[in-house]
Amino acid sequence: MKPQQTLVGAGTLVLGVALALGAIGIRSDAGYSGVGPNFLPWFVGISLLLCGAFLVYEARTGGFRVMDEPSGAERGDWAGFAWVSIGILANAGLITTIGFILSCTLCFVFAVRGFKSAAGRLDLSPRAWLVDFAIGFSIAAPVYWMFTQLLAINLPGLTSTGWL
Amino acid sequence: MDIWNQLLQGFMTAGTPINLMWALLGCTIGTAIGVLPGIGPATAVAMLLPITLKVEPTASMIFFAGIYYGAMYGGSTTSILLNTPGESASMVTAMEGNRMAKNGRAGAALATSAIGSFVAGTIATVVVTFCAPLVAAYAIKLGPPEYFLLMVLAFCTVSAVLGKSTVRGLTALFIGLAMGLVGIDQISGQARYTAGVPELLDGLEVVLIAVGLFAVGEALYNVLYEGRTVESENPMSKVHMTREEWKRSWPAWIRATFIGIPFGTIPAGGSEIPTFLSYATEKKLSKHQSEFGTTGAIEGVAGPEAANNAAITATLIPLLTLGIPTSNTTAILLGAFQNYGIQPGPQLFEKNSALVWALIASLYIGNVMLLILNLPLIGLWVKLLKVPKSYLYAGILIFATVGVYGMRQSAFDLVLLYAIGLLGVVMRRFDFPTAPVVVGMILGPLAEAQMRNALSIGEGSWTIFVQRPGSIVLLAIVLAVLLLPRLMKLRKPKS
Repeated sequence: MKPQQTLVGAGTLVLGVALALGAIGIRSDAGYSGVGPNFLPWFVGISLLLCGAFLVYEARTGGFRVMDEPSGAERGDWAGFAWVSIGILANAGLITTIGFILSCTLCFVFAVRGFKSAAGRLDLSPRAWLVDFAIGFSIAAPVYWMFTQLLAINLPGLTSTGWL
Repeated sequence: MDIWNQLLQGFMTAGTPINLMWALLGCTIGTAIGVLPGIGPATAVAMLLPITLKVEPTASMIFFAGIYYGAMYGGSTTSILLNTPGESASMVTAMEGNRMAKNGRAGAALATSAIGSFVAGTIATVVVTFCAPLVAAYAIKLGPPEYFLLMVLAFCTVSAVLGKSTVRGLTALFIGLAMGLVGIDQISGQARYTAGVPELLDGLEVVLIAVGLFAVGEALYNVLYEGRTVESENPMSKVHMTREEWKRSWPAWIRATFIGIPFGTIPAGGSEIPTFLSYATEKKLSKHQSEFGTTGAIEGVAGPEAANNAAITATLIPLLTLGIPTSNTTAILLGAFQNYGIQPGPQLFEKNSALVWALIASLYIGNVMLLILNLPLIGLWVKLLKVPKSYLYAGILIFATVGVYGMRQSAFDLVLLYAIGLLGVVMRRFDFPTAPVVVGMILGPLAEAQMRNALSIGEGSWTIFVQRPGSIVLLAIVLAVLLLPRLMKLRKPKS
């Protein structure tokens, strides 16, 4: 019996239940076709329930079948993961206030901390922060200019100049 | 000859300086993407989808196609030189290519894979040129029931047949279909699964799902589990093949091309099967058995690489003529077409013939560009392998933000992106295939519409699917694809 795999199966079950619950609220007026807009939601929801149940069954009877050993370490490096997660979520929260370039640079700096921490080489000295900030900025800024200036695609800026 | 005229027209469109520039840019980015571990053509095309908002369709399709097959050229460089294969299609190349590189023959391996990719890509493009219009002419006769069954066939092969575990493949497919359900129903106009969030009325963006699963998922997986994995690099040698190596490569390229093309063409995509088949064929036919698995046999690189490229090019046939994607990348290309309000399918060759033929012509041009980019300039690409992993993945996150935010200007999407990334980590850790998610999400709404249209024709009766000769044949194929492998498995233990 594999607890993690059981959880994955249970997650699939929950998704199936959620879809089925959502399907209740969808109208069924079918017109000529005999099936309405609620047909596929029901079908997908029930199928996910069946898949989830089968996954749980597999997990509890020796584990998922014909499965490759996952690559990499057995245990996750959650400290590194937290750094990267903070980077991505901070980016989502800040992008409209401090602009694309600065927000992405920040995300870059945090993500680099995460990967270095996962490799066991976390460097929190001010110099490392500055170097990574400079590298992140030198990637984010040209990308921003390319999209806003050349392609005229809207990305949020700190100023309305289109350059920062 | 109608085809010649149209192809010539295509070359004229694709040959304008601006389109040539897009092709070159696409091939260059594609090669870079292929070389860089951790990011594939599907992600790259997805991240660049916002350009469809501003760039005209012909130019951007030429650009995306360049990325698509450019990545295949670049991918082999990584799998030969690094001891960690990138995408699954180049895993086979890695088996022999790696051994050759370890024995100081990296150059020959790189040469045979680049030239083999060119040969196979070009032959496959010729096949696309002549077959696609024929398929389109035939496909125009298909009605909703046949289309629906074709899509079901694509779903079955991509989820249940190609993967290792049927239940995990199906789970992935249904997750994809569930994602496709979010938004306004095409036929009745009813909102589904939007939970009152206005952003969800338009549905989930393809960019979001693809970039979340592949780019963010890959980055998170890497930081979680592979932080301490050390990659070693094989020594480079001069890119050159001896007369003997040419003699051994040629037949392998040609054989592999014709193994690859049919697998790309039928809606049963994926380039894993043809590459493995080609490898097995070469291993069986080779006069140098002792080199396989020891010092590295050049046929074992030449064949799979060519098969891979042939299959990749041929996947454009079902995409352009039927509107059916059979891989991650073609699914996203379909999304790109949809952004322009263009629905690939048999009508494409009539309504947008200029675009189609320019795209096909650009494949010929792109293959030549890629040969030049990959043979003399290989040294430049190899330098990309020296980019530290931390900067590589952190940089990918910046591009992921551009792709997702650029598409809809919504910070909400960036939070969703993270959630999809987590889903990607779980799927990767527990060996769920990702292609069914993307194909299901994009093809799901189309399949649903075809199904309901078909049922309308049949006045609500499901027998419509067994009343037409075309649909009966397709139904038989679907059943065969699902049942035959299982029946064969049942028979094996007895014999």
